[in-house]
Amino acid sequence: MAKVLIPTPLRQFADKKDSVELAGTTVAEVMAALTEQFPTLRKQLFTDEGKLRSFVNVYLNDEDIRYLKKDATPVAATDTLSIVPSIAGGAPAVGLAGGSL
Amino acid sequence: MININKSSWDLMVAHAEKLFPNECCGAMLGNIDGDVKNVTQAVAIENSYTGAQGARYELRPEDLLEADRKARAAGLDLIGIFHSHPDCDAYFSKTDLENSCPWYSFVVLSIKGGKFDHANSFLPNAEQTDAPKEELTWPKS
Repeated sequence: MAKVLIPTPLRQFADKKDSVELAGTTVAEVMAALTEQFPTLRKQLFTDEGKLRSFVNVYLNDEDIRYLKKDATPVAATDTLSIVPSIAGGAPAVGLAGGSL
Repeated sequence: MININKSSWDLMVAHAEKLFPNECCGAMLGNIDGDVKNVTQAVAIENSYTGAQGARYELRPEDLLEADRKARAAGLDLIGIFHSHPDCDAYFSKTDLENSCPWYSFVVLSIKGGKFDHANSFLPNAEQTDAPKEELTWPKS
């Protein structure tokens, strides 16, 4: 069983667990098992078309799966999968005081 | 609401002022008690944006992963991200929104002339179309 670490804000969709042990031999199988066990996580992680959302990265131990075999990356029982967002931003030259947009 | 303790706040402001006129970024660790987030440890993270950093920042996912591991090891949670707006108000810009994720609090520090001016915290929605403010407190001394 591979371990999947659940980011803090997503634990509300995973019975408040910080990690779960799931069966699967590839990243795709483990992630499918994750959203099967916790269906409300699916919307947080995947688009309606079933693709990982643009800001969601999956790491197998210390490696980004995009640089391995993506969804087909093999997963061993001793592996740990982490869900890590992409975050960036910045302010243009002219700001708006105080509010959002 | 999100409360930031003194040591975390001091680190965040010092990091933002040190990197002025560039943008800084980092992670906020702590715990969540109901609707209240308490930040007890801030982690400065390198701005990895490859172009001019005066109006842009980027967090490497692996740096965020390391911050999450640090939080877990300390029995804390990764609960927010901070970055600075040099010579600009602390609002959530279009660039911020388009490159955010809806899972965390985003604290923006306005640094004007190299010194802290004001700050706000935002909660981007899942569609990345809006980021309402959340109440933010920090030690004012």
